[in-house]
Amino acid sequence: MTDTAGTDAFVVRHLSKVFGGAGQVHALSDINLHLKKGSFTCIVGPSGCGKSTLLRILGDLETATSGDVQINFEQTRVPRSAFVFQEHGVFPWFNVLENVAFGQKMASVSKRERESEARNWIAEVGLTGFEDAYPHQLSGGMRQRIAIARAFATGSPSLLMDEPLGALDAQTRILMQEQLVRLWEVERKTVVLVTHSIEEALLLGDQIVVMSARPGRVKEIIDVPFGRPRSVAMEASPEFARMKQDIWESLRDEVQASMSFK
Amino acid sequence: MTVAEGVARRVTELDQAIDQEFKREQRLRARDLGLAILTPIVLLGLWELAAATGVLDARLFSPPSAIGERGAEMVADGSLFVHIWATVGRLAFGFIAGSILGVFAGLIMGVVRPIRAALSPTFTALYALPKIAILPLLLLIFGLTETPKILAVAISVFFVVQINTLAGIMQIDARILESARAYKATGIRLFVNVLLPAAAPAIMTGLRVAAGMSVIVVTAVEFVASNNGLGYLIWNSWQLFQPATMFVGLIVVSVIGALVTGLIIVLERVLLPWRHSNSPKKKESKK
Repeated sequence: MTDTAGTDAFVVRHLSKVFGGAGQVHALSDINLHLKKGSFTCIVGPSGCGKSTLLRILGDLETATSGDVQINFEQTRVPRSAFVFQEHGVFPWFNVLENVAFGQKMASVSKRERESEARNWIAEVGLTGFEDAYPHQLSGGMRQRIAIARAFATGSPSLLMDEPLGALDAQTRILMQEQLVRLWEVERKTVVLVTHSIEEALLLGDQIVVMSARPGRVKEIIDVPFGRPRSVAMEASPEFARMKQDIWESLRDEVQASMSFK
Repeated sequence: MTVAEGVARRVTELDQAIDQEFKREQRLRARDLGLAILTPIVLLGLWELAAATGVLDARLFSPPSAIGERGAEMVADGSLFVHIWATVGRLAFGFIAGSILGVFAGLIMGVVRPIRAALSPTFTALYALPKIAILPLLLLIFGLTETPKILAVAISVFFVVQINTLAGIMQIDARILESARAYKATGIRLFVNVLLPAAAPAIMTGLRVAAGMSVIVVTAVEFVASNNGLGYLIWNSWQLFQPATMFVGLIVVSVIGALVTGLIIVLERVLLPWRHSNSPKKKESKK
């Protein structure tokens, strides 16, 4: 593994995170990960296991208490990672076009350039015609498409997604999963996606990181064998059902452990 | 053919039903508007009648016709405008100065923690002080000039706007801030693209409250420390026992209050289009 460091986008070594103050919370403990460039990694784990914290550390929104995180992207004017959050990540005072262009605006990309890029991604997520609409005029699914388009339009080599589809209803969620797979297959960025859903992780990921209950550790890393392009239809295959069962078995103890914390 | 005809008939029936529902809604709206206008007219009519028949003492409650007459006289001889301009001038200077400083102070306090720590408790304490109570002090310092009158308005406006602006900054959703941080919004860009628009609704609320308050303060100031303006007009007509003139003053002050508040609401709609564009989703085909 170590000799492939050149192709690894993220290398995490002995990472731990303790939230300070009174009543310290040991969120992450001795995390080791190698994420290849252009790979799609899904992180699953019980609530409160620190998976969002791990994502934030990868994206520089949080610092590690100990251990180190190596990020192997060239430094350009756009941020190395673009985020998609669960909800409320889009700005209500900007219309769709301004929201999607926001990342490049902060990177000082010229107005013409960033708007043309934004229009491309608005078309990719199927929001053409809504450029001038404000987020509150759109449905939850459409707002999440704004957030996803913004992340792609920023032009960062990696995307970090924190339960991007978590707040959507089941049907919209399936459509958005397919859309996300399609977008990623067009432009292979390094993606790390935190999710609660094992199906979602199997459908989207090249590998699945299963985390333990708090303090979060990497319990297991599972390679997803399915070829691409993928679609929701593969959920019907016996292989999919078997893997889902395996991951659930692995996760069940952790979920129980995390519940007994409360 | 018969099937197609059947479908066509059902479509027309549906269209008619939609059309009827739409017309019903329009009728109801027209009725609401009519009732809203009718109520004050009926009240004025009753007042006129009551004054004419002696149910109301016409020496105290000048009938609407007499008030109208008096108003027309004051418009004709120009005296009304002297008072209106005096009041509007104080209001405008005081309001604009107070709100600009209030927004500025609120924003700085919201962004710079030590300044907030230093000023916030004192400002909160001063906020509770009835601002009109410091008029005598202002008169003492500045004498019977325009300055204390404008300052009294400006100070009242300042505190309301400052507190609302600060609250607007402090109440910004942490998730919005995290999103801004994730996309590397910092410094002046963070301020212009995120903090200011996020706080804008609270700032507008502050301005609206301050607008109503500034009319109260300017009137009260003119009661005691002025020889022109609508407050003076109202106060003076009490002393001279001229109820019709007093009512003219009261009506003009209320109209000014309504106009100022209306102006702020219009301003809000222009400045914050994202809060009001509730029109159905636009779907225009792009060329």
